[in-house]
Amino acid sequence: MYDYIIIGSGIIGSLIARKLSEYEASIMVFDKENDFASHQTTANSAIIHAGHDPKVGTLKAKLCVEGNRLYDQLEKELDIPLLRTGAFVVAHGKDEEVILHELYERAIANGVPSLEWVTPSELFGQEPRLVHTITKALSLPTTKVTYPWEVCFAALENAVNNGVNIRRNSHVVTINPVDDHFLITLKDGTTWMTKAIINASGVMSDQIASLLEKNVPFSIVPRRGEYMVLDRRAQQAFQHVIYPIPTSKGKGVLIVPQVHGNILLGPTSEIIVDKEDASTTIEGMRYIREQIKHLSTQIPYEWLIRGFAGVRATSSYDDFYIHESHEYPGFYHVAGIDSPGLTAAPAIARYVVEDVIKITYPKKKNFNPIRRKKPSFTHLPEEEKILRAHEHPSYGRIICKCEKITEQEVIDAIHGPLGNDTVKGIKKRARAGSGLCQGGYCESMVLKLIAQETQRDVSTINYDGEHTPILVKETKTHEDI
Amino acid sequence: MKTFDLAIIGGGAAGLAAALSSFDEKLNIILIERDVQLGGILNQCIHNGFGLHQFKEELTGPEYADRFIQSLKEKKISVMLESTVLDIQKKEDFQLIISSPLHGYEHIHSRAVILASGCYERTRGSVLIPGTRPKGIMPAGSAQRYLNMEGYLVGQRVFILGSGDIGLIMARRMTLEGAQVLGVAEIMPYSNGLTRNIVQCLHDFDIPLYLSHTVTQIKGKDVLESITIQQVDQHFEPIIGTEKTFDVDTLLLSIGLIPDVALFDGLSMIKSPITKSACVDQHYMTNIDGLFVCGNALHVHDLVDWVSDEGRKAGEQAKKYLLTPMNVEKDDHAIVTNDNVRYVVPHHLDMNHLNEPITLSFRVTKKMTSAYLQVIQDGTIIAQKKSAYLAPAEMESIVIKPDQFQSKSPIHLHVEELL
Repeated sequence: MYDYIIIGSGIIGSLIARKLSEYEASIMVFDKENDFASHQTTANSAIIHAGHDPKVGTLKAKLCVEGNRLYDQLEKELDIPLLRTGAFVVAHGKDEEVILHELYERAIANGVPSLEWVTPSELFGQEPRLVHTITKALSLPTTKVTYPWEVCFAALENAVNNGVNIRRNSHVVTINPVDDHFLITLKDGTTWMTKAIINASGVMSDQIASLLEKNVPFSIVPRRGEYMVLDRRAQQAFQHVIYPIPTSKGKGVLIVPQVHGNILLGPTSEIIVDKEDASTTIEGMRYIREQIKHLSTQIPYEWLIRGFAGVRATSSYDDFYIHESHEYPGFYHVAGIDSPGLTAAPAIARYVVEDVIKITYPKKKNFNPIRRKKPSFTHLPEEEKILRAHEHPSYGRIICKCEKITEQEVIDAIHGPLGNDTVKGIKKRARAGSGLCQGGYCESMVLKLIAQETQRDVSTINYDGEHTPILVKETKTHEDI
Repeated sequence: MKTFDLAIIGGGAAGLAAALSSFDEKLNIILIERDVQLGGILNQCIHNGFGLHQFKEELTGPEYADRFIQSLKEKKISVMLESTVLDIQKKEDFQLIISSPLHGYEHIHSRAVILASGCYERTRGSVLIPGTRPKGIMPAGSAQRYLNMEGYLVGQRVFILGSGDIGLIMARRMTLEGAQVLGVAEIMPYSNGLTRNIVQCLHDFDIPLYLSHTVTQIKGKDVLESITIQQVDQHFEPIIGTEKTFDVDTLLLSIGLIPDVALFDGLSMIKSPITKSACVDQHYMTNIDGLFVCGNALHVHDLVDWVSDEGRKAGEQAKKYLLTPMNVEKDDHAIVTNDNVRYVVPHHLDMNHLNEPITLSFRVTKKMTSAYLQVIQDGTIIAQKKSAYLAPAEMESIVIKPDQFQSKSPIHLHVEELL
C-alpha cells in the first residue's frame, strides 16, 4: 500500500514526487511510456517566464511568478542549467503599444519584478537582428531558459534518492475505490494499492479522471505547438527571449535562445483531435516563418537542424485545474497544465502538497534536497580534461562529435540513477545526436554502447518505445544462400 | 608538446592521397583518423565501381582504400587512429586539440594542416519533412553502415527520399538482402545520382523513380507506418491530388551531403555559401595561411577517384608550401562564372603563381545536352572544351595550362549551352 501514487512522470509529476519525498510517506510514480519525460516536458519553449502574460488573479499568474523565483532555488539544489537571458516584448506602432502598456500593468499586478521600458535604439543595440519597425519594447529581466527534461530527470532522481519509487511502461487502465483506498490496475496486469492518487498525466488527465469519476469537471482540448530548432552555431544571433504582442491564441511565435546554444523558433497553436499527434506540418512551419518576420528578417535558417511539435494539455477550464475530486476524496487532479506550466511547475508542486493535499505526514529528518550532476567533459578546464582522459580512456573517445560528447558520458547516461537503454533516452540524457548531423555519425556507436553496457544483442536495442528496434533483421548468411 | 610539419585530418580517400603525396623525408607528417581503421566511408561501400580512373580497374570501396593504405605503410607515414580532432586554433602555427582513448586528450602543434574530414548527410530536420518522428527514418549512409559494417537491415519495406548516389546504392543493396524497396522520390525534375547508378540500382530492379516528387507526410507513433509523396510544381510546392501513400517501415534519406567543416569554428574562415566550405585558391589553400582543404570536406564529389586526385594535389601543394616558402606576394582574384555554373573550385586564383596546370572543378545549374566549357581572360577564350552532356549531378572539369594564361587579369568560367 502506497500513501501516494502519481500518474505521469513529466515535469509536474516529477516535481510533485520530489516535494512529497520531503515527508514520511511512501510514493510511487507511474509512466505509461518506456522513458520518463516523454511528451510535453520534452516539447515546449523551455522558457521560465517572468509572469507578464497570465490574467491577474489566476492560479497561473500566482504560480508562474512564484515558480520563476523557485527555479533559482532549484538551480542550487538540483544543479539544473539556467540561462538568464531576460526577454523583450516588442510592439509595432501605437495599437500594439497600447496592448504593451496593458501587459506592463498586468505584469506589475502579477508581481513581476524589475520591469523596464526599452527604446528602439537600446533594443537594436542589444538585438541588432530585430526588425526596425519595432517602436517600443518591454524588458522582463527575470525571464530565463532551462533544459526542461533535465529539470524533470533531476527532480525524479532526487525524489528516488529520497525514497520515491518509479516505474516505466506502467499504463493505468482501471482505478477502483476499495474501502478507504484505491486499487489501480496496469496494462501489464499488475495491481497496486494506494491511499491517494495524484493525476499528473498531461493530455491524458481527463481520461485518467474518467476511470473513476462519473462527472469529470474538466476536459482536455489538445493544442499542438510546432517549433524549429537552429544549431548552436546560430547562438550569437539572439541573446534574449523575444516575444511579440500576444493574441487570443497565446504568446505568439517567439525567438528563444536555448541553454546549449541552439535557437528555438515557434510555437504554432492549433487545436487538434488526436491527443498524441505531435506531427509537424508544412502549414505550421510556413506559419512560423511568416510570423517570425514581425520580429526578425535575419534568422540564420542555414543552421536549421530540426522541426518538432508538442501537444499542450489545455483544458476547458480557464486556468490550471488543481483540485481534489469532489466525488472521490484522495484523488487529486493536476490538470490543464499548459503554458506557463514549465515555469509554474515547482510552485505547482508546492501548492499541490501544501495547499491542496494539506499534507499531514511528518517531515523526513534526513531529506536531502541536493542532487549533483557530473559536469560535461567539454566544459571542464583543459588540465582536468587531460587528466581524466589519461586516467579513463572512455573520456578520450568522442561519440557525438557535433556536441563533443564522450563515451563515458554515454555510459553514465546508460547506468545513471535514471539510466536508460534506448537511443532516444541517451539523447535526452547525454545529448548525443543533438547537433548538426542529428545522430548520423554517432547513432550506431550509441547503439553498440547500449548493447555492450546492458550485455544484450544489438538487435534488441530500441530507438525509444518498447518494440522499436533499429536493427530489424540480420543480413543473409551462407545458410540463406 | 608534440610538433609536426603537417597534420592531415581524416584518413579517408582524400586524407590518404594527401598523406602519400605530401610525403617527404624532410617532413614530419601525421595522419589523424577518428575511426579504428583508415579508409573512411570507403569501408562501408562494399559495392564495386571504384578506381576506374585511378587504377583502370573496378574495385570495391575497401579494396580501393587498401591500395592507398598499403602505400602508406611502405612509406612509414605516422598515423593516429581513434583520434578525434576537436578544435583548430591558428596563432604562430596551428594548435590542434585531439581526443583519443589511446593517446588521451592533448594539444599538438603543426606548421600546416590539410583538412580532409569528408562530409555528413543532410538530415530530415534541415529540410523539415512534415509528420511524426517515429523510428525508421534515417540517412541512407547510416543504413549502409548498419548493413555493411554491422550486418543488419534497418527495415524490410523501404522508401527512399532523394536520388543521391548513396540512396540509389542502398535501393539495390537492400533489395538484394530481401527487403522490398517501393520507390525513390526526387524533388528535382532530374536525378541527383550518377546515370550508371540510376540504371544499375533502380532500372535493373524495377524500382520506380518519382521525379518532381517529395515526401509530404509521415505517419506512425512509435514506428514508421506510412509515408505520402506528392508531385511538386516549379516552385517546389506540393500539388494537391497527386498524393500517393506507401506503407513502409523505413524511410531512407539521400537528400544531399554537406562538407563537414565543424573544425572551422575556431578560425576566421572565408566560406562559400554554395559549397558551404572554404574558398580556396589553386593550391587548395584557404584564406588562413597554411590551412589546406580537399575532398568532400571542400566540395562534394560524385566519384572517389576525383576525391583522391584532389587529395593528392592538396598534399603536393602543402609539401611545396612547407619546403619552398613563397617569396612573391599573392594576388587573389575570384573566378567569375556565368549563370549556368553553380560553383567552381578553386574559388579564386593567385595570379602571381600560375606555373602549374590548374584544374577547375565545377557543377552546372541545369541539365544541358551539348555545351561549350570556356575559360575566358581579357575577353579571349584561353581554354575550351565541348561537352555532350552536362547535369548538376555530374561534376565537370577543365584544365588550364600555364602557357594558356594571357595575363594576370581575372578569369571567367562560362558554360555556353548549344541550342
